[in-house]
Amino acid sequence: MTDAAGTIEAEQSKDIRKRWLLSLPALLIILLAATGPLLIVLLYSFLAPGPYGDVQWAPSLEGWIGVFLEKDIFDETLSLASAHISIFMRSVGLSLVTTILTLLVGFPTAYFIATRPEKTRELWLFLITIPFWTNLLIRTFAILEVIRNEGLINGLLIKTGLIAKPIQMLFTDGAILTGMVYVYLPLMVLPLYASMEKLDFRLVEAGYDLYATPFRVLRKIIIPLVKPGIIAGSILVFIPALGAYVTPSILGGGKNMMLGNLIELQFGQGRNWPLGSALSITLMLIVMVALLVYVRNAGSQGSRHG
Amino acid sequence: MAELNAVEIRQVSKIFGFGEFAFAAVDNTSVSIRQNEFFTLLGPSGCGKTTLLRLIAGFEYPTSGEILLNGENIAAMPPFKRPINTVFQSYALFPHMTVAENIGFGLTMLGKPKQEIKSRVDAMLKLVRMEALAGRRTSQISGGQQQRVALARALAPQPKVLLLDEPLSALDYKLRKDMQIELKRLQAETGITFIFVTHDQEEALTMSDRIAVMSSGKILQVGNPREIYDAPADRFVADFIGETNFLKGRIGSVVNGVADVDTSVAGRISATVPQDFHAEGEVTVVLRPEHATLCPPDQPAACQMSGTLENVVYFGTDTHYHVRLSDGETVFTLREQNKPLQAARFSAGDRVGIALEANAARVLRN
Repeated sequence: MTDAAGTIEAEQSKDIRKRWLLSLPALLIILLAATGPLLIVLLYSFLAPGPYGDVQWAPSLEGWIGVFLEKDIFDETLSLASAHISIFMRSVGLSLVTTILTLLVGFPTAYFIATRPEKTRELWLFLITIPFWTNLLIRTFAILEVIRNEGLINGLLIKTGLIAKPIQMLFTDGAILTGMVYVYLPLMVLPLYASMEKLDFRLVEAGYDLYATPFRVLRKIIIPLVKPGIIAGSILVFIPALGAYVTPSILGGGKNMMLGNLIELQFGQGRNWPLGSALSITLMLIVMVALLVYVRNAGSQGSRHG
Repeated sequence: MAELNAVEIRQVSKIFGFGEFAFAAVDNTSVSIRQNEFFTLLGPSGCGKTTLLRLIAGFEYPTSGEILLNGENIAAMPPFKRPINTVFQSYALFPHMTVAENIGFGLTMLGKPKQEIKSRVDAMLKLVRMEALAGRRTSQISGGQQQRVALARALAPQPKVLLLDEPLSALDYKLRKDMQIELKRLQAETGITFIFVTHDQEEALTMSDRIAVMSSGKILQVGNPREIYDAPADRFVADFIGETNFLKGRIGSVVNGVADVDTSVAGRISATVPQDFHAEGEVTVVLRPEHATLCPPDQPAACQMSGTLENVVYFGTDTHYHVRLSDGETVFTLREQNKPLQAARFSAGDRVGIALEANAARVLRN
């Protein structure tokens, strides 16, 4: 009797120990789909480049050295890869400015939607998401059509006689910024709206009641209370902006590269896969560090306030 | 020269919507609120009392009319410039600040020196007996405590007028009773004019110096609690404040303010007539339930009315009786105070008589 009970229990615990096997498909997908390609990229970054792309199966640190250093063409001495560093700086800079601009434009937009009557809010949100329906490439070409030398703006200005020669707008950092702000704006508006919708507008009235001017109500009450939305929106914009490829390659031309274009270049014409892989991992590390710093700062303030 | 009124509402209207959807939340209303007064706006929900309060606070601007604060027209002044503070129905405490930061917010916005803010916040915490919880977040304190913080926050900048928008409605009965006394104490100690909005007539009667009864955007009657209760201006006020019995009758001769009214159910009764009131023919007479007692139906000399007892409701302090009068339509409510260890004298289904106290009946202005 007790023996039988014992075996049943043992069977059961054996079953329980085997249960994780049921999650095997999910684990495999996570491993193969998420970690797998990353591991390949990591591995490639430590191999030597092949002559026509691809890699040679020989361990090499050249890819990683190439991220920040470059060989002199004549005497093989190493010096700082100023081109790479300036592309890094430009990418971080442009992404930061994009984040700030989308915040400046997105905040009033989200506030506007959140203060509409409940019935019309859905319509406004719907309008915000319309750009998502169109392919990114097509949207970017649309901007190109507006700002190129023979485009809409220059055409109008010349026709009205305000300028004689077209203003060079395409292939500038300004063009890249315009494109990125346009593309990433919904990613800022949606999380901002989500936290503004939860904002109790009676608190805004309480602020006005207690002698706070509209500007101070914004600074002392609204911004602290919608901070989670600001953080989420900034992360959602900054990260893809840092790795942006389509927008800078079309609107920035060949000259004004960002990290995404530099990486693409190594896998394409550059035929330097290890360098491309090392650059990709570097980009990932930048994003991770930026996120950690941001979340920690915002988090510590958040726990003090909310 | 007479003292200026603290707040004066002059022919103020507030119309929401346009065209055929236009709706007057406040309809050409005038009222004066005196200095250091506990003034209550009383009415059912949707009567415009909260809109009137929001007009005084500055959250809404009147469509027409003037709002004077100590003689100065503030109708177009934004809320952050008005020396008026509000205790909100939901308290609206800032969740990202501590109790002390909440109380000090108004003073900080006014640009007071740090030292002054600190001493004032401490004084306020003491006034509402919340010293121990100064560093707490507003989410970590109970509803009654939040209520006190909201009061302290609104009182801290020493406003000329304090507005209270149904501040006690979220509290349970016992706490509400305590806060009613607390509010009266605070008003006496600070000497600030309080304008209190409520739909609870009992709260209004116990707390106010004067009450304005509102309905459909209009003020129907302004007076002290006794006037409002004993001499309601019209049927709405009589019905809204306390329980009331209405009897129809024909008015006869009026002598010294007392009319002889011939009612179908109670025969001839004498009823007080409001001043400057002249009426002929059909009038309505009001009778409060506590001004009548049950009597045995076999003593017709003592009882003016008779009927069948339909309901006996025991309330602890008193018992309510609902009597269907002899006309078969009118249900008359009366209330008797309970005496110690007294068994119910009558039970449902009994034939009973009703005796009215002297001066109980009053003729209503239409």
